[in-house]
Amino acid sequence: MIEVRHLSKRFQNNVVLDDVSFSLKEGEVTSLIGPSGTGKSTLLRCLDQLEIPENGSITLNGEKYELGKHSRRSTLALRRQTGMVFQRFNLFERKTALENVMEGLVTVRRLSRADAQEIALKELDKVGMLPWRDHYPRHLSGGQQQRVAIARALAMKPQLLLLDEPTSALDPELVGEVLDTIRNVADEGLTMLLVSHEMSFVQKVSKQVIFLDGGHIVESGTPGEVFGRPKNDRTRDFLNRISRLEQPEYII
Amino acid sequence: MARIFAPEEILKDIPLMLAYLPVTLEIALFAMVLAVVLGLLLALIRIRKVPVLRQIAAVYISALRGTPIIVQLYIAYFGIPMIVKYFTIQSGGTYVADTGSGIVYAIIALGLNESAYLAETFRSALLSVDQGQIEAASSIGMTYPQALRRIILPEMITVALPNLGNSLIGLIKGTSLAFACAVVEMTAEGKIIGGRSYRYFEVYISLAIIYWAITILIEQIIRLIEKRLAIPESPKIAAGADAKTKQPSESSPVGKVAL
Repeated sequence: MIEVRHLSKRFQNNVVLDDVSFSLKEGEVTSLIGPSGTGKSTLLRCLDQLEIPENGSITLNGEKYELGKHSRRSTLALRRQTGMVFQRFNLFERKTALENVMEGLVTVRRLSRADAQEIALKELDKVGMLPWRDHYPRHLSGGQQQRVAIARALAMKPQLLLLDEPTSALDPELVGEVLDTIRNVADEGLTMLLVSHEMSFVQKVSKQVIFLDGGHIVESGTPGEVFGRPKNDRTRDFLNRISRLEQPEYII
Repeated sequence: MARIFAPEEILKDIPLMLAYLPVTLEIALFAMVLAVVLGLLLALIRIRKVPVLRQIAAVYISALRGTPIIVQLYIAYFGIPMIVKYFTIQSGGTYVADTGSGIVYAIIALGLNESAYLAETFRSALLSVDQGQIEAASSIGMTYPQALRRIILPEMITVALPNLGNSLIGLIKGTSLAFACAVVEMTAEGKIIGGRSYRYFEVYISLAIIYWAITILIEQIIRLIEKRLAIPESPKIAAGADAKTKQPSESSPVGKVAL
């Protein structure tokens, strides 16, 4: 069980997260959904200490990390247990795909270059990017870049993988390859916290769905509960608006 | 009456002044190293908003950019010996005036002056590095110094390089003022030759040719480095693979590791 407790974050007077607590089951995918600007991304970024919240803690692997009162050491320790996949990929531009995946292994985990390369090649193979190992990010499509970014995060063997809208910056035709990759990773039993607007994917891949609105958890449960029988008006409203955008594939 | 212009003097003067080229280069290169190190430090202090040091850096940059380099050279030439004298006497030693260290004062003055400009060059280059990559480095557990060394600096240097070339060229020309610190380099030697022959015009033409030639050389070197640092325009295609196909073959030349 990974527990997030009493997470609060504000930017000046704008309260983005207001005392949010939830827990994740190990080996499962949990998805965060909700309208734009409700702090989904901020929540992920707080967990990886890219933003520092006022208050909050995360218990990972039996160890509790204070997110608000961070020290350099606890921040590093926490980051080494978590991986992050960004909306805009954020690959290292001056490094090839292989070097991107090797970077953390060599610099952070202090592996020899040979060992790092072996792991990196395996991870690139898993996301189907092995043939592109010597390409620089600028020579890859968005979907390919995101797959390399996933391999980079996975190579560090995180306990928890945070995915911040991994397909929002992609052309529609490239979304599929990235979702397939995420799904494969999920099938391997990695704990994941996913922020996404791909509702059908969220429904398929996650065991738990959390609906966040106005800095609060409005509703949470299995995809069947949240999507099928939403209890809260705001959830229902949100899902209605989303489904209006997503054309039905067929009507009986 | 003597001829007004003696072009053959130019050719005769050039080797005489080139004898002092090592002095010019020594001052310029050492000053450049000092300026790069200090400039980078100042830029990092400002970007990381280090308390106290940040205010000191701002004043330092403002003062050095706000005073003429010739004045700074004089201040270094007269000031540094005074400081050295003060501390030797304080610690009970006897001060012996050292007349040979003018070149050190010139290097310090030119280096500090250039560092103020480079601080801004580096600051803008550091700001140009995509924040997302820094976050990505953090997210895989890199510390800031690690991210700086592995990700930020290599990226920032390509942005800063054209300006670094400018700075080096500026420094080379700045050395012509080192006479203020009693250093005899090319320009100073030129003045001495001119004083002897009264052919000042020819001397300065020779000097102009030499400085320009050095500048052209530096421009070429910078261009070469820029080319080396650039990410290749097209992806590496494995040997034997059709150059037109986007899909690289499985056997790329690098990293043949058994899985």
